[in-house]
Amino acid sequence: MQLLTLKRTAILLSILPLFLFLYFWIYDLRPQIDRPWIPSLGIHFALSIDSLSLIFIVLTTLITPLAILVSDEHKIQNPLAFYGSILILELMLLGFFCAADLILFAFFWEGMLIPIYILLVCWGDEEREKTGMKFLLYTLSGSVLMIIAILSLYFLNPAHDFLISAIAAHAAQSAYTPYLCAIFLLAFAVKTPLFPFHGWLPDAYCRSPLPVTILLSAVLSKAGIYGFLRIGPTFFFAQIETWSPFLLTLSIGGVIYGAFAAWMQADFKRLIAYSSLSHVNFILAGIFVQQKTAATGAILQSLNHALTVAALFIAADWVERRIRTTSIHKCGGLCLYMPKLCWMTLFFVLASIGLPGLNNFVGEILILFGFVVKRPWTAPIIATTLILSAVYMLRWMQQLYFGPPHLAEHAKNDLSKKELLIGLGLATAVLFLGIRPGPLLDQAHSAMQTIFNPSEIPPQ
Amino acid sequence: MNLSLSLYDLFALSPQLCILAGAIILLLVESFAPQISQRFSLAITAGIFTAAAILTLFQPQTTNTLLTYWLQFDLFSEAFSLAAFAIGIATLLLSHAFFARFHVRPGEYCVFLLCAIFGIQLIAHAADFLTLFLGLEMLSVATYVLCGYVKKWTASNESSLKYFLMGSLASALFVYGVALIYGAIGHTSLRTILQSYQEIIPAPERTLFLAGIALVSFGLFFKAAIVPFHFWAPDVYAGASTPISAFMALGIKTAAFAALVRVFWGSLQHFDPLWNEAVRCLIYATLIYANSVAMRQTHLRRFFAYSGISHAGFLLIPFVVGGTEGGAAFWIYLITYLLSTAGAFAVLAILDNHSGGPKAEDLKGLFRESPLTAATFAVCLLTLAGFPPTVGFFAKFSIFQLAYAQGYYDLVILGLLTSIFSAFYYFRWITIMFEGKEERTARRPCLPEKTLATTSIVLLIVFSLCPSFIRYT
Repeated sequence: MQLLTLKRTAILLSILPLFLFLYFWIYDLRPQIDRPWIPSLGIHFALSIDSLSLIFIVLTTLITPLAILVSDEHKIQNPLAFYGSILILELMLLGFFCAADLILFAFFWEGMLIPIYILLVCWGDEEREKTGMKFLLYTLSGSVLMIIAILSLYFLNPAHDFLISAIAAHAAQSAYTPYLCAIFLLAFAVKTPLFPFHGWLPDAYCRSPLPVTILLSAVLSKAGIYGFLRIGPTFFFAQIETWSPFLLTLSIGGVIYGAFAAWMQADFKRLIAYSSLSHVNFILAGIFVQQKTAATGAILQSLNHALTVAALFIAADWVERRIRTTSIHKCGGLCLYMPKLCWMTLFFVLASIGLPGLNNFVGEILILFGFVVKRPWTAPIIATTLILSAVYMLRWMQQLYFGPPHLAEHAKNDLSKKELLIGLGLATAVLFLGIRPGPLLDQAHSAMQTIFNPSEIPPQ
Repeated sequence: MNLSLSLYDLFALSPQLCILAGAIILLLVESFAPQISQRFSLAITAGIFTAAAILTLFQPQTTNTLLTYWLQFDLFSEAFSLAAFAIGIATLLLSHAFFARFHVRPGEYCVFLLCAIFGIQLIAHAADFLTLFLGLEMLSVATYVLCGYVKKWTASNESSLKYFLMGSLASALFVYGVALIYGAIGHTSLRTILQSYQEIIPAPERTLFLAGIALVSFGLFFKAAIVPFHFWAPDVYAGASTPISAFMALGIKTAAFAALVRVFWGSLQHFDPLWNEAVRCLIYATLIYANSVAMRQTHLRRFFAYSGISHAGFLLIPFVVGGTEGGAAFWIYLITYLLSTAGAFAVLAILDNHSGGPKAEDLKGLFRESPLTAATFAVCLLTLAGFPPTVGFFAKFSIFQLAYAQGYYDLVILGLLTSIFSAFYYFRWITIMFEGKEERTARRPCLPEKTLATTSIVLLIVFSLCPSFIRYT
């Protein structure tokens, strides 16, 4: 009972900010705070919320309670520390999405590593120490030089502060602009991850408990995307334009690599991990093409991907709990024994493939549209992934659910009521965003405008 | 010249007199009333430190030339003295359990600790190379004895002898350097040394002066444990008892930097770019060497020796940049280092159960046994690693900002890259605390250790939230 209270408290605490931010969204409020924090170093405690941060904040405050909700409180040792770490992580993420001062931005960026590291190391499987250290070293090496880039921007800024809005106008004037841009891009590329910086991804996704996997794939990767969106076009538009062919090659390479890697997996958790890599790189391609429609699509797709990948990992975990393996080949024909779970999974798989009428379709079509307008020759290449994703996802469905039935004897129970409710909730969200993306699209559109027209960022 | 001291001058000198008188009284008590000494000497010493700290706060300014010729009384000396008293009290808090556990008599220990703190005070106030030397020797001789305080431990004896041999060589070179400086400019006063140096015209005397400064720097870098003068540190830290290792990590580091501040900021600001270049090379050596070696340590005291070396490298960066504009960054970094190292050593003292000192395996499963101790250690390590949201991040950042503003981009990049290494090894200890299943009965931390750990953690958290509390005085 006490355990349940703990979990409920954690869910309540994690969902509270959602109401606050929804209030901001509905009444179109853009609150800001700007106080001198460390005057001797020129650091402000500046937080501001614009359309872009609002989308990512809502995403975080939606997914974190979901992650806590689907956690199995009886299997987690020391649940207090576990939920505490998740809440600290949420705090860091929210701070990161609101930060209007570059130091604060870096502060939360590095700070979110501590809770995620602890979550990986304390509650992972047998290889957890290695996984945690690998993740830590990858992300740290990616962002180590960020401080020097930030310092250099600080000295470029005649006002001598770290406010993002003030720096944006001067970022491109340095003789070192390419280096600065590269440093920032590298940091975000490792966290997202952009191909080929994804070495940490499969282990971290598959060796951690479900809530951590959800947080990593749905929210942490969006922190990297948010970084690209916030810093990329605003600070280094021309530079990214120059590098665009190179960056597009990487991201499209990632899309195709992820798809093929997912195709080859015999383990469905790894399959989802690689499919997530593929989709995330698709979003990045939408950012790197630097076209307004594509950027809108990328912002929209961040939210969609978060929902879909969380739903897929949850479904995969439900399957795993029942058949006690993550191998595709050991069981088959599960549809016969647990039809509800099967149709639920199929629904999310179809969303992930980009079936028209479901959420992913809207974002992907916008990104593709941007490609057709700006780089028509790349559009067919990137469009092939839609086919590939159908291939690997349906292969999994076919093997596990619709093949010749053979099953370990202990797994006959279908979805419980609670699981069904969670699944239906997610499915409703997926369907709603697919059928009526209008309000979200408007928000994404205005977010896109804050990126491409820095002058429209409200003055601090 | 005024040759008499008024009562007012004695008041100005009262903190020093308080410590010195306390040492003598304790020595007498130890000789004539060993029972009292056995029971109360730690408390008495703590009282002396507190009294001295209060006297320092209300210390009047004196203009008596008899004193001001040798000693200077300014904010720097006040801040360093207060830091020294705090370090003294921290060492006492760590020592309490140590004496109880290993059945060692605390009487003489306290006397030597008082002497060492008196040495730091002298260094902080020095207005002449001779006072500085006296302070350094007072500190060093007391520490030589403290290192080998437990006579039965062979490792301690070895560490004491090693420290004594190397330390006396460094002291000898320091004095030799002072002699060369005297030969070049005809006096040893820190107040007029820069002026005298700029007045030297003939080249040989300039060389003589620079040679002298090089030797003086050698002596001070030895105390601060800068690579390549660091060889004593790991062995001595590992051999000495945990409270004394803590005293060396905190006190001697502070003293060495107090001396560097006195000589190279107080007197010889920007005297020759050659010196700054040399220090820059030493920083390279220190950061690269210490960080790559620290990664392989399994002995915690030895590890903190390397960690201290690496932080000394960071602390030197404001000196390369030169000038007192580095003061703010220096203070933030020093205070952060002192607080987090004190907290970490409190945990080491809790784990300490044999003369060899705590090792990596003693940390295993600590998180499960006593989560609070483990959390304290983790916060201290994260601060030392310079990770947000701890104040360590701001400390490192302020150093980098200073270096960047003065155009030392290479030092910033070096510092950032070595920070990755350091994150790796600091995080490794945290990982070790989480692993391990075997049941072990951890010693319950006693009140003094808890007090120290709590104080440092509370201060670290407060400073993390409001880093601007640390002001440059």
